[in-house]
Amino acid sequence: MSQAARRILKPELGGSVPGGLEELTEEELSGFASMLRIAKRRQSEELETAVDEALEIVPRLLRRPVRKILFG
Amino acid sequence: MKGYLSPAVEVRRLARLIGADPEDLVYFERLEGQAIRDLRDQVTVAMFDADRQLLQRVAVATKLVPAKLGAVIGERAFGALLCARITGLLDPSRAVDISKHLPVTFLADLCLHLDPRRASRVIGEMPPDTVAAIAAQLVAGEEYIAMGGFVGHLSKAALLAALDAVDDESLLRTAYVIEAKQNISALVALLPDERLANIIATASGADLWAEALDVLAHVTERQRGALGDLAAAQDDEVLDSMVRAALRDDLWSEVLPVIRAMSPESRERFATLKSIQARPVLATIMDAAAEDSLWAELLVLLPLLPITARRQVATLATAFNRETFEQIIGAAHEEELWPGLIAFATELDKGPRREIAKLIDDSDPDVLQSLLTAVHDTSLEANLMAVIRELPATGQRHLGTRIAAAPTELVDALSAAADEAGLKPLSEALTK
Repeated sequence: MSQAARRILKPELGGSVPGGLEELTEEELSGFASMLRIAKRRQSEELETAVDEALEIVPRLLRRPVRKILFG
Repeated sequence: MKGYLSPAVEVRRLARLIGADPEDLVYFERLEGQAIRDLRDQVTVAMFDADRQLLQRVAVATKLVPAKLGAVIGERAFGALLCARITGLLDPSRAVDISKHLPVTFLADLCLHLDPRRASRVIGEMPPDTVAAIAAQLVAGEEYIAMGGFVGHLSKAALLAALDAVDDESLLRTAYVIEAKQNISALVALLPDERLANIIATASGADLWAEALDVLAHVTERQRGALGDLAAAQDDEVLDSMVRAALRDDLWSEVLPVIRAMSPESRERFATLKSIQARPVLATIMDAAAEDSLWAELLVLLPLLPITARRQVATLATAFNRETFEQIIGAAHEEELWPGLIAFATELDKGPRREIAKLIDDSDPDVLQSLLTAVHDTSLEANLMAVIRELPATGQRHLGTRIAAAPTELVDALSAAADEAGLKPLSEALTK
């Protein structure tokens, strides 16, 4: 496996970096890593917003147990 | 094309997963499709892991609210993408209950972001009418890649319902991008012959032969033959369009196995098509056979071609080297296609014919034995003599000595044929 791919993608992919990416340049790998980082951040932000909005919709009676499950 | 994953299709899947424009990831198309898919699998895990705890908690909390309210929250607060991430974490029956309260447009949108492998049980429990409605929605949006991911996860009833909801052209386009190609034969098995014949006509009308032939590369040998027969039953215009597409897009490696799998009558129909007999077509067929070692496929087709086309093939074969002829003889032996080989060899120019004669002389005993038996069974002794004639006297004697060890019946028949052909050195060696 390409050392560059492992070095650049591992922080974003976590566990393992698959092989077969040798043909990509460092610049391309970095570009993709950056897109992945942004995608994860966007997903986390959207999820947090969605949870807040969901709590608004949940009837008052259920809000406390739902909140407990969501946030402990 | 077996097991082939299109890099362009895989790039689109990867782009969708991270919400990117496929154009921004176009450099990935330099990679093997499998490498992009492996990366996508890892990205799927990473995207999920990024919010694993909260996603799991949302899934648990969903149990507390009625299905209808769950649907409202899903649609209004979470949206299709996040719902797709959560779907696989839900109890399947719960997910199905919630889906009943969601509009089809939302479900179709959710499907675009769903990783079917992570939500297989949910998909498997989706009611057929819902699946059909979603399929129709996805077709309207030309979302063939998303649809292709679901085959293999749907129940048979749901798959049948979806097939009814999808037109022939969309079905072909979807089959081409099915993620689990091993499911194509099961899908084809669900379609009646009439529909399959219409799909073949559609491949011609919409110029989707590359897609149709890819499907044919992933079905069972029996299905390939049956589909080939259905194709052969179409008008010349349909078959000519396939020949044109094969020539233009280099698809003979996909076409030749289909021709081989057909019934003899269908094969004959293909072989006598005017369009297949043109020299450029024959040249690309020979190139494909050489490139992918499709010699058995070629040997099945060649004897059926009209004489003028066979002569063209013979001329093209003068460019073959010894190694290529060795492969052709190997295919004839392994696939028991000696009559095809002998017919091919007798039409070659002297040089290539001598090469084949020498290879026969140099062949292993079991190869020679199977050739002689096949020649005797099909009464092709005279044709074999036309090939052996190209050997010098010493070669004929050497081969004659080897043949003399065969059963008497074979030796007698070949001896008579050698006499008839005036091959004295061979005849003498056989009668010693």
